[in-house]
Amino acid sequence: MKKNKAMIFWFSLPSLLCLLIMFVYPVCRTVLMSFFKVESVTAGLSDWGFNGIGNYTKIFGSQTFRTAMGNMLLIWLVGGVITLLLAMLMAVVITSGIRGKKFFRAAIYMPNIISAVALATMWIQYIFNYDYGLLNEMAKLFGGDKIKWLGSDMKFWSMVAAFIFGSVGYYMLIYISGIEGIPLDFFEAATLDGAGKVKQFTKITLPLLKGVIKTSITFWSINATTFFLWTKMFSPIDTEESTIVPVVYLYDTVFGGKGVVTRDAGAGAAVGVVLTLIIIIVYEITEKLFKSDDLEY
Amino acid sequence: MKNINWKKELKLLPGYIIVAIWVLFTAVMLSWILGASFSTSKEIFSGSIFKFETGIHWENYVTAWQVQNVSVFFGNSLLYSVVACFGVLAISAPAAYVLSRWKFTGGRTLRIGLVIAMSVPIIMVIMPIYSIVVRLGIKGRVLLMLLYIMMRVPYTTIYLLDFFATLSKSYEEAAYLDGCSAPNTFLRIMLPLVQPAVVTVTIFNFMSVWNEFFMALIFTSSESMTPVGVGLLNIINSMKYTGNYGGMFAAVIIVFLPTFLLYIFMSEKIIAGVTGGGVKG
Repeated sequence: MKKNKAMIFWFSLPSLLCLLIMFVYPVCRTVLMSFFKVESVTAGLSDWGFNGIGNYTKIFGSQTFRTAMGNMLLIWLVGGVITLLLAMLMAVVITSGIRGKKFFRAAIYMPNIISAVALATMWIQYIFNYDYGLLNEMAKLFGGDKIKWLGSDMKFWSMVAAFIFGSVGYYMLIYISGIEGIPLDFFEAATLDGAGKVKQFTKITLPLLKGVIKTSITFWSINATTFFLWTKMFSPIDTEESTIVPVVYLYDTVFGGKGVVTRDAGAGAAVGVVLTLIIIIVYEITEKLFKSDDLEY
Repeated sequence: MKNINWKKELKLLPGYIIVAIWVLFTAVMLSWILGASFSTSKEIFSGSIFKFETGIHWENYVTAWQVQNVSVFFGNSLLYSVVACFGVLAISAPAAYVLSRWKFTGGRTLRIGLVIAMSVPIIMVIMPIYSIVVRLGIKGRVLLMLLYIMMRVPYTTIYLLDFFATLSKSYEEAAYLDGCSAPNTFLRIMLPLVQPAVVTVTIFNFMSVWNEFFMALIFTSSESMTPVGVGLLNIINSMKYTGNYGGMFAAVIIVFLPTFLLYIFMSEKIIAGVTGGGVKG
């Protein structure tokens, strides 16, 4: 087949332009901006003053940012362990030969395809509602006391619980596809050798899912680091200490929010760079920890 | 009908209970919201939403649609999603085709760049984009259309690329012998051949744009360009003053329905698409 140079050029040019405009140039400029004193996000290069690592020392010196990082870490670790364990549990149940497998799989994944704003609203306005919410109605049924799920001491964990509910389905799908990739005769041979279900899971399924688990940890890390929407929904008007996360801190510092006296785009850029570095580091660590041997079967 | 093996089913019982509780919880939540969307605020607070003692309050939907401007948000989101789906295809399909077919200068770099761009967090690009947009004075609906198209290009290109790569070159050779020009071959023969992949990637693009929130929040400067996510947030924030719970739940249902209906009809295709694409251990 002849190579049509003009066609190759015109066919690939638009996507190249998108890549440059939407990704390459902005990423470079954000990294650069994180080392400069930039007040307004729209300020031209001539208004930038070199600041060394000043922006980084500023954000790490800020109590709010440290709180935000702490919350993010909790979401990543506690939320991650619960989400991935639940997802694994669901995946194992669904591949165990139950009836209505397709229905259950579709129903559990469903929260992932609907608008997260709508999903968060359902949780805030119904499940966690103090007066008529599901949880307090259940408490009443069992003779317990009503709880202020959205009070400042409970809010963070309520938010994490709702976020977990919305996430489990996605990781479940990843695990299901991993489990279904394992040949059935592995399990048949193990059954013949007298290995129980639990033993089969720990000795066959888990080791062979190494690659899939690695992928799921990477995806979870990206989701936890870029956590934003749920905080915005749980404290919609003013950012609160209890639910703040780094991206909300970034949003407030760059675009203005409660308690932000002077906007600081440079500091915002530094937050972006820090979060991206965290994602890269977590990725590298999981790659090392779960060195997959690229098994062929 | 097959005989039910009760012994086997009994063994699976704990599993059934686990997934059933999860699904039941989801069903209770959705049906309650649906019930509440047809009730008055008073009924919602007194816990009598499923009795419909005062009738079914369709007017909640009318209020949400007209007074609370959900019609505007809905129209905007539909516009953004549809335009983005077509726009991104127009950019990505040709690129995916030539990238999968020929080795050329910069081709490999473009491909790697697109793969990396897929995992670049939005916070790394949002500030310079904002700056460009303000300098160029791009405003209104066209702004979000452009941004959503560009945002989906890396994913769509890489997704389609894998499918073009599986097609045999004999199609093009035959077309060439018949005197069909190369761009025409792409448009009339190759693109229709990857139609299933185009459908899947379009569903994903649609849902992703419909549910997008971060950029919408930053770039929405007026009611007339607000998409559903940000619009719903505004409705909830103004609830303190309106106190119209029924209307809010009606708005939630309206925002929730499009992608939900899409899912009801296409769940198999969507689920296959989630794990068939980039996700591989």
